Amino acid sequence: MSRTVKGRLFTRLWPNATALLLFTGFVFPVYWMFSTALKPDSDIISEEPVWFPSSPTFEHFATVVRAENFWSLVRNSVTVTLLAVGLSLLIALFAAFALARMRFRGRRSVVLTFMVAQMAPWEVMVIAIYMTVRDADMLNSLVPLTLFYTVMVLPLTILTLRSYVAAVPKELEESAMVDGCGRTQAFRKVIFPLLAPGLMATSLFGFITAWNEFPMVLILNKDPHAQTLPLWLSRFQTAFGDDWGATMAAASLFALPILLLFLYLQRKAVGGLTAGAVKG
Amino acid sequence: MSVQTHEAPPPVRSTPRQPHPEDGPRGKPDPRGGGLPYLLLLPALAATAVLLGWPLVTNGLLSFQNLNMAQLIQHVTEWTGTDNYRDTLGSEDFWRVTLRSVLFTVVNVFLIMLCGTLTGLLLARLGSRMRLLLSVGLVLAWAMPVIAGTTVYQWLFAQRFGVVNWVLDAAGFHSMADYNWTGGQLSTFFVISLLIVWTSVPFVAVNLYAATTTIPRELYEAAALDGASARQSFMTVTLPFLKPFLLVTTFLEVIWIFKAFPHIFAINEGGPDRLTETLPVYAFVEGVGNQHYGMGAAISVLTILILLALMSYHLRLAMRQEEDEL
Amino acid sequence: MKRRLLVAAGIAAAMTGVAACGSGGESNSGADGFKGQTLTLWAMDGSTPKQWEKDVRAAFEKKTGAKLKLEVQQWNGIQQKITTALSESDPPDVIEVGNTQTPAYAKTGGLAELGDLKKSIGADWTKSVNESAVYGGKQYAAPWYTVNRTVIYNKKIWAEAGIKKTPKTRADFFEALDTIEKKTDAEPIYLPGQNWYFFDGLLIGKDAGLVKKRGGKWVSNLADPDVGEAMKIYAKYASYSEAPQDKDEATPQQAEVFAKGKTGAFIGLGWEAGTAVEANPKIKKDIGYFTIPGESASKPEGVFLGGSNLAVAAGSEKQELAKEFLKIALSDKFEGALAEEGGVIPNKPSLQGKVEGNEAAEAAAPAVAGGGLTPLIPQWAAVENPPNPVKSYMTAVLKGKPHAEAAKSVEDDINKRLSQKQ
Repeated sequence: MSRTVKGRLFTRLWPNATALLLFTGFVFPVYWMFSTALKPDSDIISEEPVWFPSSPTFEHFATVVRAENFWSLVRNSVTVTLLAVGLSLLIALFAAFALARMRFRGRRSVVLTFMVAQMAPWEVMVIAIYMTVRDADMLNSLVPLTLFYTVMVLPLTILTLRSYVAAVPKELEESAMVDGCGRTQAFRKVIFPLLAPGLMATSLFGFITAWNEFPMVLILNKDPHAQTLPLWLSRFQTAFGDDWGATMAAASLFALPILLLFLYLQRKAVGGLTAGAVKG
Repeated sequence: MSVQTHEAPPPVRSTPRQPHPEDGPRGKPDPRGGGLPYLLLLPALAATAVLLGWPLVTNGLLSFQNLNMAQLIQHVTEWTGTDNYRDTLGSEDFWRVTLRSVLFTVVNVFLIMLCGTLTGLLLARLGSRMRLLLSVGLVLAWAMPVIAGTTVYQWLFAQRFGVVNWVLDAAGFHSMADYNWTGGQLSTFFVISLLIVWTSVPFVAVNLYAATTTIPRELYEAAALDGASARQSFMTVTLPFLKPFLLVTTFLEVIWIFKAFPHIFAINEGGPDRLTETLPVYAFVEGVGNQHYGMGAAISVLTILILLALMSYHLRLAMRQEEDEL
Repeated sequence: MKRRLLVAAGIAAAMTGVAACGSGGESNSGADGFKGQTLTLWAMDGSTPKQWEKDVRAAFEKKTGAKLKLEVQQWNGIQQKITTALSESDPPDVIEVGNTQTPAYAKTGGLAELGDLKKSIGADWTKSVNESAVYGGKQYAAPWYTVNRTVIYNKKIWAEAGIKKTPKTRADFFEALDTIEKKTDAEPIYLPGQNWYFFDGLLIGKDAGLVKKRGGKWVSNLADPDVGEAMKIYAKYASYSEAPQDKDEATPQQAEVFAKGKTGAFIGLGWEAGTAVEANPKIKKDIGYFTIPGESASKPEGVFLGGSNLAVAAGSEKQELAKEFLKIALSDKFEGALAEEGGVIPNKPSLQGKVEGNEAAEAAAPAVAGGGLTPLIPQWAAVENPPNPVKSYMTAVLKGKPHAEAAKSVEDDINKRLSQKQ
């Protein structure tokens, strides 16, 4: 008797217990990053870990923000990321529409091309890219970075958006056209709003890729004024040695915008995930 | 973020099956609108050709050159035929690294898919409040930029004052109090794998959960009417429905893990003693690190070919699906 | 520019390209002829003391009317960065190049020939120091400064252990480390397993070479028993340290570990004391220096004479301006000031007196006579590219592998790098 009660209690409890455990496991590194950044040095290198920053300090943040060119690095990172995401979404939307809605010769080869393009190991091609950009006299500029980041995320964006487009009921589009909208108008008024979740979801991938990119900017842009935040973060790792407070403050600042963006967009995109999702 | 699983039955299927006069998507290529798809695809194809295709070709050309410090500085082209390939394919190191890369990919993709699927199914079982909590945790790990992630993991596993060593010590493993995680091959791989699994599981879990929500209720009801147990209905309804999703996700994860570079490089630069170098890291160390750029290019070409070979089965599968679509 | 370089390359002697580039600037040399131009200088982290930088900048800008842009570089990945930079159409004009790496760059043709500069200001450069800047009989860089390691110690901890005098022999030093270990709770010395330049010094002290010539080719000499002897000394030092065996002195920066005040000593360069003070100003009064003691009191330990040369990029369009800068920076006035402020050994004997009063430099000076370098062959730079096999050897021995076995496991890699196509 008591055994079945216990058993039932157990079946009800274990998913929640596991979820709590998983939550802790996934969040802890992020928590530890922020909490280390807020702790005074004496709490960071204490024999027993200080689990909560009881006497928080912003000194580490002050250190990292004072670093040379910090704000120009922020500006560059934001510019490159926004442009790359915007550009890739725009280009991908056209392509996705063609691939999802039209039938034409060579369609399969195009799909195959993007599938293969998805596999490109960019890091190992940096020298070839460097030589191309150098010979085009485009070093120390944000333009090549933006363009390369765009293409880095383009294949996955196209293939994903294509499924979202395909999931939009065709009748909707058709009835819009019957109502006198042209194809473009039908697209803008009917399909586009339905695609919004898909666009948000794919843009996350773009954001994280462009925001993170390191090997290419390292070799293309030696001018400190044309560099981006990943280089700044990596410099903290090497230059500050085991100053973990400053390093974690830098990592926190670097991660914060993406974390917020994800939390924000994820809530909006969940609808998209459930509706267009798998197909999407 | 979601995955394209063109194999999956779309939640909404358009009814008209006959070719439409305007776009003719299911009929023959439309003679009138013939140029439009190409026009729409032009920006994407052109960008890919110029910014990916051209570097790939350049990379291929470099792989047949003797390109070191002097040649790079002087802009000299020195063709060496297939020397770089002969040296690479003839070196024991290359094959060892290849084997290591494949193993690394298999182990990590397996772990990611297993943990991701289980977590996703758990999400589906949870009450809404718990689900939101776990989702937030997953999204935070998922959104963590790689470079920030590697930095944090280095700090978690730091030899002195690292919290992992402290916890292990406190749990009674006193030999771990000052353990140097990046000192050995396996322990370094352990840290790298943990980092990779941590950042990759959320993607699988969240998308899998989203996929389960699109399974029509009626299917379960029908199964229940047939007297199926929970296990049976999972095997007959859930799993078949998720199969295409799992296939595509595995495909993506194999690509991502195989070419994972910053995770491995940032944790220990392929060390100790080059024992955690996978193909992309090996290509980078030999090419850029060692300033043997032609050789690096050859290794990277081989890396791409190996990845293509690994993926050829899936690509063929996906292409066959392509025919059925539309 | 690019085309010009290509042409230059075509005419086997790459140097002719330099003259072509330089000619553009000659017409506007003279007092104010450089107005509006900016000279870019790449100096390594720690090389340019603040006051020196300020004064040199002022003097340079006053004399030439041009601006000076200093870009401080990190050691990590610097070789690739310099290589790619030298290939560009707008490279940094003046570059600090490590002395062990200079022959490799000289050979690439990426550095401008500085024969005339040597004639005008380099007649009295220390001959042994200038050697690394000469390749194939031509001058490719100007020697800037040399540094060698000393023991940097924490006086407070040593006093706490009751040690009154700094050691004069290696045996004394070990005894002192023993005492610190027993009497205090400090780490006697911080020595990570891969402080390979200290190891190179020990090799120099044992007169053991890193490479040898076999059949007209350079090959590894690591298996030599003398190398094993030197490594034994290193291992003895390392046994007093809790530092990681598989890291070098820069990860973490040993000076920052020392700055925490719980380390008796470390083996480092004079400027590293500055890094420690920056991390913890309170430690300043406790810092002392002494020469790394050798086998006997009469002869200090061998040291690696690390150092830097200043080179001019062959692709720079400001050849004349760059030379103007070198003339100012390397003038007796500023070379002396660098020695005084930075505690480094200047490039000519007549300025040696300048280091007097700088404790670090005074401790470093006695070892210079017995100092040495890494092999001055262009192939050597490849060996030091990470992952440096010599460092792997060191870690292997410290982890208990016998010398011969550890040497054997990395020799293939060293030989491969030495015979790498250039």
